Order: sequence, then C-alpha cells, then structure tokens
Amino acid sequence: MALSTTVSQRKQIKRKAPRGFLKRVFKRQKPQLRLEKSGDLLVRFHPFLGWEWGMEVHLSCLLFVHRLAEESRTNACENKCGVINKEHVLAAAKVILKKSRG
Amino acid sequence: MADHDPDSDSTPRTLLRRVLDTADPRTPRRPRSARAGAQRRALLETASSRRSSSQTKMTTRRHSHGARSISRSAYVQASGHLKEQTPRTLLKNILLTAPESSILMPKSVVKPVPAPQVVQPSRRESSLGSLELQLPELEPPTTLAPGLLAPGRRKQRLRLSMFQQGVDQGLPLSQEPQRNADASSLTSSLNLTFATPLQPQSVQRPGLARRPPARRAVDVGAFLQDLRDTSLAPPNIVLEDTQPFSQPTVGCSPRVYRSPPCMPHTGAEDTELAAGCKKRSSGPGMQTNSPEKLAQFLAGEAEEVDAFALDFLSTSSGVSGEDGVEPLQDGVEEAEKRMEEEGVSVSEMEATGAQGPSRAEEPEGHTEVTEAEESQGTAEAKGPGASSGDEDASDRAARPELVSSTPESLQARRHHQFLEPDPPPGAAVLSSEPAEPLLVRRPPRPGTTGPRPQQDPHKAGLSHYVKFFSFYAKMPMERKALEMVEKCLDKYFQHLCDDLEVFAAHAGRKTVKPEDVELLMRRQGLVTDQVSLHVLVERYLPLEYRQLLIPCASSGNSVFPAQ
Repeated sequence: MALSTTVSQRKQIKRKAPRGFLKRVFKRQKPQLRLEKSGDLLVRFHPFLGWEWGMEVHLSCLLFVHRLAEESRTNACENKCGVINKEHVLAAAKVILKKSRG
Repeated sequence: MADHDPDSDSTPRTLLRRVLDTADPRTPRRPRSARAGAQRRALLETASSRRSSSQTKMTTRRHSHGARSISRSAYVQASGHLKEQTPRTLLKNILLTAPESSILMPKSVVKPVPAPQVVQPSRRESSLGSLELQLPELEPPTTLAPGLLAPGRRKQRLRLSMFQQGVDQGLPLSQEPQRNADASSLTSSLNLTFATPLQPQSVQRPGLARRPPARRAVDVGAFLQDLRDTSLAPPNIVLEDTQPFSQPTVGCSPRVYRSPPCMPHTGAEDTELAAGCKKRSSGPGMQTNSPEKLAQFLAGEAEEVDAFALDFLSTSSGVSGEDGVEPLQDGVEEAEKRMEEEGVSVSEMEATGAQGPSRAEEPEGHTEVTEAEESQGTAEAKGPGASSGDEDASDRAARPELVSSTPESLQARRHHQFLEPDPPPGAAVLSSEPAEPLLVRRPPRPGTTGPRPQQDPHKAGLSHYVKFFSFYAKMPMERKALEMVEKCLDKYFQHLCDDLEVFAAHAGRKTVKPEDVELLMRRQGLVTDQVSLHVLVERYLPLEYRQLLIPCASSGNSVFPAQ
C-alpha cells in the first residue's frame, strides 16, 4: 500500500491507512463522485500535486479521532471518573463534530 | 633473596627486580644442579609462601607471573653461560621493555644454556599450572619476543609459541634437546588442546554419531511377482502407494474428473486384465464370473467411489462382512482390498502388490489379493466378497462421510484401473455423488449472509479507528463508549464526504482530489497558518507515509513525490 523509495524493498507497515475502507465508505455515500487515482502525477505546476487523497483523508480521520479522544478524556476527568463513559463520548462528539464541520 | 615485601607492593616485577638486585652475581654454572635446584626450590617456596601470605592482591595471573618470575630468576642464577648476555641482563631488558601489565610470556623462548636442569624448571613451571611452557631462557633474538608475546592471551601464546618454535629452528644445536623437550611439551600441550574437540563428541553424545541408514530387506519374491503382474497388464499404469498419498483426502472432484478417462475402457480389457491378474488361480473363476460381475459392476459402479470411503471410515452401515468394519487405515492396500470386497464386476487387479486395487469379484481371488496385499498392511478380516448389491445401499449411505476421506491418489489409481466402462448413468451417479458430500461437508451458514459482508468490513474499518481512539484516550473505556465512538465516526464520514463533494463541485470537478481534502482540513481548523500540513503528517502518520506526502529532495535534483 505504501510506496517506498526503494522499489525492491517490501515494507511492512504496521499502521496502515485503510484506503479500501475509505474508498468503500465514500462510494457508498456518494456513488456519483469519483476519487482520484493515486500514483504518479505528471502534471506540473500544480500546487498540491503529489498528495494522496486517501492518505490525507486518513490523516483527517486520525485527527478527528484524536480530538474526540482528548475531549472525552477531558470530560471524564472533569467528572472524576476513571473510565470513559458513553456520556463523555457523546458530549465530546457533539463538540468535535461541530468543530470539524467545515 | 627472602625479601619480605609488603603485600601491597609485591608484584612479580618488583620481586624480580629485588631478586636481580640482591641475587648473587656469581652464578654457578656446572654445579648448579644441587645448589641451583635448592635455590630454586627455596625461591619457589618463599615465593609461594609469600604468595599465600599476600592474599588478595595476587591473582592467579600474578601467581603464575610470580612463579615464572621466580623460575626466571632461578634460571638467571642457574644459567647464564654467556657473559655478554646473561639471563640476568636479558631479564633486566625484559623488565625494562615489557609492558607492566602483562608479563605472561609464552615461553617458547629457548634458553641459550642447554642445561637439563633448565628443562626441569621448565617442567616444573608447566606443572605449576600454566599451559604455556615456561621456558626460562631468553635468547638474544627472543628478547623482543617476550614483549611481543606478552600481551597475548593463552591461545595466542600457544600460537606464538608455535611461531617461536619455528623461529627457534635457527637456534644452535645446543638448543635442540631443550627445544625438543619444549616442543614436545608444547606440542603435547597443543595436542591436548587441539585434539580434545574431536574426541568427546562421539563419546559424550552418542546420538550425534552418524549411523548407517537402516534399510529394509527387499522382498524379492513380491517384487518379482509385481513385475510379472505389471508386465501382464501394461496398459494400466499402476501407481504405487507411496506413503504420502496414503492419507485420505477429501477429493471428490478428482474422481469425477478421472471417471471419464476410464470410460473408454471396455469390458474386454477388463477380462484380459482379469486373466492376467495376479490371481491366476482364480483367473478362470474370475473370468467366468466377470461377465456377471461386470453387469453387477455397471449397476453398482458408483460403489467404487464408496469403496474408497468405506476403506477409511469403518461404517457399520450394513457393509457386508467382507468390508468388515475395518479401522480407518491410511494404507492404500486396504482401500484396494475393499474394492475387491465390493465385488466389482471387473476384476481388475492392480499389478503392484502393494496397491493394486484389484477388482477381484471372486471372493477367493479377492481374499488372495487381499492376503497378498495385506502382507504389508494390517491384517484385515476381509470376508469373501459377496454380492455388492447390498453394499450399494450401505455405500450410498456411508458415502457422504467416506467420500470425504478417500485419498486422491487412490481415486486416481482406481480410475486408471477401473477398466469397466463408466456408463453415463454411472457417471451421472458419480457426479451427483460428489455433489452431495460436498454439500454435506460444508456446514450450512444460515442467517447473516446478507448483511454480513456489508457490515463486517465496515465494522472492521471502524474498529481500526476505534483502536486509535482508545489509544489516544489513554484511559479505560466502556464498551458502550466504543460503540458510541463508532457512531460518531460514521457521522464524521458522512460529513466528510459531503464536504468533499461540495469542494469538488466548487472547483468544477467531479473527481475529488487531494486538494479538496486539504481545504477541508484547513476549514476544520486542523491546518492553520501556524500548523502546516506537513507538521501534521509528521506528527500523526507513520514514518512510511511521510515520504508519500512530504516532498523530499534527493540526489540528482529529484524530488519525491514529484511536484
């Protein structure tokens, strides 16, 4: 899945980005849309060339999950609970989803 | 000589120095035997006493050092026929030049004085425990050698001593006796060290010793008979039942595939084969019976298939006594015997004694074959092959289970062997048979077939992120909380897709490109003027992805990924 500079080597990535999963989710949601193919992009002079949409989506998901976790941990600590409860997560989700609405 | 040094100060070197300073400069040469020996012994005793008194500081090395030095001093006293280079002077040189730390000298240095008494001390030296031969004398060319050899370890000392031996070859003949003695001692010591690894291996670990492979005696009689059988039945390619294939396998399909090839065989061939089969005694009987059996066979030809199964699964499904309830055996012979017991019409006898799936309809022939084939295998009570009719029913019943266990190789062989033509109904039966067991074999999975493929990958992907959540939270979580996280993720993905769609449409595209995602991240507030995307990539993504996203310059003016 991940390219490597040295083609001969095969790397085993421990934390892979589930590109297939993301693509499937996207397709289910918006079948009319297309996702850009990853790979070598020969078009130059494009400011954002060289990125992979899948990777970036994965990055955004990670960041979302990270923020969610932080928020729910804060909520749980505020309630002086040692365990993160459903309510903590729910409250955190409200905030974070609002934030990442864009 | 009997200097009592304070324990802390006494090192071999200091002791030696003292000895040299205080020793009698007049070294008696000839009569040294008595006096020198006495002196030496006294020296040693005093040294040893001193050693014992001075406890802690002296290590074993030092002990050897001291011993050697003592011996050396003794030698110095005893020998030294060369005025200009006495051992004493040589020793002094050594003390000056040699490094402080290691005075472990490999003593292959040959003493210029070929005194036999010198040999004795050397013996004593070696007997004192150090492997190195403490050759006391020092030769002029070898004064440097101690310096060279001193830092070496024991092994190196030994090797160097070997080298020294070679060097010493140029010594005058006077040296030889001693050298030889030393060399012998050296070599003996060397031999001791070098020879040991070879010997104990076999003694200590007898299991490691190589044994000649045990070979079974070839049964010439059986072999010849097999040869004869094979020669008589050339068209049949009999596959020997080799061990690996004796395992019953679930191979229904091969049977189906193989049955067509058997079709062309005609009954005539079968009779021929039957005639040439092993049971010559029962040949005529078999031939007479073969026509009837042939019909029988045609009728119950599916039984062959069952036979395989029967062989391996002892079923009490009413199989006649011939099949018996044979324990599940891997031996193909048994399967073949079963075949015979089935009373297949065509008496095809496999040429090979081990496995010929002989289709001996005749019970006698069958038994003969079985007996012959059983020579290797287990003794199975093969009742005379009665009619195979009843077996059909039982076989059919047992087929589903048995089929699964029949070995593929057996099937292949049988299909080769079974000359009887497979009539289309038989083939149809055959094809149907494998289908049933196949269905039977796969436990039906009712229920959640519909939503499962839809749910599972989705859940799997979500769980991927849920794991991240639990990792980032660093706190124990409830299961319900995790489910809630999954719901949140679903919602988030929906939002994500909507936003990407909007952005792509805004850019007049129908394809979502990475820049849309970047814009989204910027709008989310993840990417700010302070925090760039690269920073985020470096923070959160695995290292391998970094090179994908962050352009890096490499040699040759190339940037990866290309920009």
